[in-house]
Amino acid sequence: MSWSFPKLIPRSAPVILLILTLAAATGFAAVSHLVARFTANQQSRGRKLYAEGLAEASANRFDDAINAFRAALTCDPTNSQYQLSLGRALRDSNDPRRLDEAESYLIALWQRAPQDAAVNLALARVAAHRGSLEDATRYYHNAMYGVWNSDPEANRSKARIELIQFLLKQGASDRAASELMALASTLPPTPAAHLQAAGLFAQAHDYAAELAQYEEVLRLDPANSAALAGAGNAAYRAGDYITAHRDLQAAANANPQDADSRQLLATTDLILRHDPFQSHISDAERNRRITAAFTQAEKRLVECAQKSSVDLKTATPATSSLATLQSLWTEAKPDLAHLRSPTETDLPDAIMDVVFQIEQRTAATCGAPQGLDLALLLSSQKREAASQ
Amino acid sequence: MSNSSTNHPAPAPVAPLQVPSRLFSTLEGVFNEELFFLILSVFIGIFSGLAVVCFRLAIDWTHLALLGPLPQTHSWRLFAVPALAGLVVAALVIHVFPGIRGSGVNQTKAALYIFNGFIPFRTAVGKFICAAIAIGSGQSLGPEDPSLQIGAGIASALGRQLDISREKLRLMAPVGAAAGLAAAFNAPISAVLFVIEEVIGRWSAGILGSVVLSAVSSVVIVRWFLGSQPLFRIPVTTFKRPTELIAYAVLGIFGGLASVAFAKSIAYLRPRLNSLPSWTQYFQPALAGLLIGLIAFLGAPQVMGAGYDSMDQAMHGQYVWKMLALLAVLKILATTLSFVSGTPGGMFAPTLFIGAMLGGAVGDLERHFFPHLTGSTGTYVLVGMGVLFAGFLRAPMTSVFMVLEVSGNYEIVVPVIVANTFSYVISRSLQTVPIFDMLTRQDGLILPSLEEDREETILRVEDAMLPAPTIILNAEDYVDANARRVQDSTDSNFLVRMHPSGWNIISRDQLQRLFREGKGEHTLASVLPQPLPSLYPDLPLDSALRYVNDYPLVPVVNRANSRKLEGVVSRDSVFKKYGSRRTEEAPNAADRVDP
Repeated sequence: MSWSFPKLIPRSAPVILLILTLAAATGFAAVSHLVARFTANQQSRGRKLYAEGLAEASANRFDDAINAFRAALTCDPTNSQYQLSLGRALRDSNDPRRLDEAESYLIALWQRAPQDAAVNLALARVAAHRGSLEDATRYYHNAMYGVWNSDPEANRSKARIELIQFLLKQGASDRAASELMALASTLPPTPAAHLQAAGLFAQAHDYAAELAQYEEVLRLDPANSAALAGAGNAAYRAGDYITAHRDLQAAANANPQDADSRQLLATTDLILRHDPFQSHISDAERNRRITAAFTQAEKRLVECAQKSSVDLKTATPATSSLATLQSLWTEAKPDLAHLRSPTETDLPDAIMDVVFQIEQRTAATCGAPQGLDLALLLSSQKREAASQ
Repeated sequence: MSNSSTNHPAPAPVAPLQVPSRLFSTLEGVFNEELFFLILSVFIGIFSGLAVVCFRLAIDWTHLALLGPLPQTHSWRLFAVPALAGLVVAALVIHVFPGIRGSGVNQTKAALYIFNGFIPFRTAVGKFICAAIAIGSGQSLGPEDPSLQIGAGIASALGRQLDISREKLRLMAPVGAAAGLAAAFNAPISAVLFVIEEVIGRWSAGILGSVVLSAVSSVVIVRWFLGSQPLFRIPVTTFKRPTELIAYAVLGIFGGLASVAFAKSIAYLRPRLNSLPSWTQYFQPALAGLLIGLIAFLGAPQVMGAGYDSMDQAMHGQYVWKMLALLAVLKILATTLSFVSGTPGGMFAPTLFIGAMLGGAVGDLERHFFPHLTGSTGTYVLVGMGVLFAGFLRAPMTSVFMVLEVSGNYEIVVPVIVANTFSYVISRSLQTVPIFDMLTRQDGLILPSLEEDREETILRVEDAMLPAPTIILNAEDYVDANARRVQDSTDSNFLVRMHPSGWNIISRDQLQRLFREGKGEHTLASVLPQPLPSLYPDLPLDSALRYVNDYPLVPVVNRANSRKLEGVVSRDSVFKKYGSRRTEEAPNAADRVDP
């Protein structure tokens, strides 16, 4: 059997070219129709598979999600949404070998639309997975300043918060602080946003800024018990014990079950009642507080020595640091009698220096103190910070 | 069923040679045949592009319908589908399309060299249908070779319809082949190079223009319908330190060895399967499909079909080196089974697959032992593709350009060239006959081996050159003076240096006769006829054949100074050189037909 066609084409060159042009146009139209139908079919199939993939990904079944997204992409290979989702699923699968593939999908998308905030955010997360500080920061910034399809302000804020969390995790506190300042200036006026910012400031050890955020929450919602406790806590860590006492008292009143606030309140109370350097107290009261602190320091020293099996009577400064403290305390004891002397203005500082040294060294040797010792230790830290 | 890969029906009657004058009579002077052929090349590209788009849709549709969008391991479909599809394909090949077995490249070459450009249209249709079913059902073959043949078939059919000259009709098939291959690879430069390198075998301005036009127009069509994205997502590729070329050279060595193993397994199995009773040919594609399905069922579905998705994943570090190496071995096995069973389909994509996996495996292993190597897995995968292309398909130039064109990255050109060269040299030394030549010879055809043509040493004039004679006469001297100079010489012919340039020749007898005739006071220049032609040492020796019968000696002169004589050639010296060449080649002749 052989196939042969009758020679239908006339022999004139212009006519031949005309016929070929018509044939090409007809073929083009037919193939267009075919491709359109096939593409529509494929896209429909791709959408189903993509939906399956999303369901799997939301259930944290990333292997299944990856398979579904891959299948969706075989149906619609250029679909950016599928590629982005596959890139995300590959990244979230916690398989380091898949990060490369995730990155390559996302880079391809990024090259097509470098301003796309979602793609930049996904790339930032890949870089964050790798621990790449510079790349992650760059992509997070791109995401913040990029184009979001919906709710741009909230998404930008989320991206910045994510960047701050990444920077804090990486120990880049300075960069985190800069981002936090920017975040604070763009926060929406909602208690939740300010509470979140306060938490980030706390992680960045910027307690004053943390306190400011809680105060903003309290301005918006004065009865917010979390903000009251947070504000007290922040003021406590910032060394602002008067404010801390006020806020912790309010928090404890608002939520009697808040044991943490109550405990901090007790410590704050001790600090305020025993700090000899507090303003607006009389000389007599100051001297009383110094004497009480000095006595308490000796108790702490003896207890710590017993705990450490050090005999303070026989130990020498060469063999034990506690013996050095004992000797300092003994040398300073006679000075207590001269506290009232108007010419000995440096004595309170000198005596309290001994007290603070004892509290700090014993804390390092015997662990965190409690009660009045803790109050004295915190007072010493506050004074040290103030002098610096 | 015939096993010949170039099993055409009897060649169709060729177009009458006087047709061009009739054809272009209406617009004489506007459409000469050269111009018309160029325009026709564009249409060939368009039609081939449209056909390849449909072919790719057919493969995708078959794959989705039979195997689903993403085949999973341990599914019964994996071996049932290719086996059943194999039965259907075998029946179609035996009863409906008997001419479609084997390589489309060879069938196009056969059309060019044997059948005056004739490729039955039925072959193109059969290739379309059967290859779509086979590849879509998971046979380990690629769509490029069928696309090439579909393009060639369309071009051939069009040429026959138009009654163009025999010379142009012969060239229609390669022009269509370039269009088909360019559309399949989405890479016009590689397609043009491949067709020039492997099908046509020579560069000429006339054919090059047509091939380029058809390739470009077909790629435009494919990109219009299917988009312009490359076959793979190209990873970041780097080449920083020249010392790393050693690593790529090692990859080239492995690639060369893998190419030889692949080629030898086909060379060994194909004739043995063909020699089995003819009824077994109904079941050979099915059995191949069953075995490939079994490989997939047991955990390697990547070996099914062309495998571009898996190459893409390998490029992005989705497999560890052991898996990559295993996939390379399994793909060699699977493709060998598919191809030798007579299932229609090509070996381009499987070759790229094997190279990609091998490249990734070797690269990962090298980086394990030498962590300072900077090339990514993707870089090694890309280089590996070119390595197998150079070693197995033995198209060294195409292999380099294909990697560059597919990757769009010229930074890796040096690694690609180094690795491909190693692979090509090793493959050539261990497997004398290239795969396409081996297939045609197994089918009993002797087509020109373009690799052998390329490698053949050309004899030049200098190879047959004799030393310059000691006596050279001067055309400005008198006849009697020249006669005295030659009287003691034993030579019978003497070269004469003409003034201001050129050469001539005079025999002793002529000189003596002139003297006897009383022309002793004449200069030689005044009595000698037209000047003698001269040759240059670097000219092909064939060019000397035009003169050595007419003149006893032909001067060989310096190109910079034509008065400076480098030597002479005579009929004896030329024929003697050809004779000695034949003797040298005789022992190697047996090697060339060893399969």
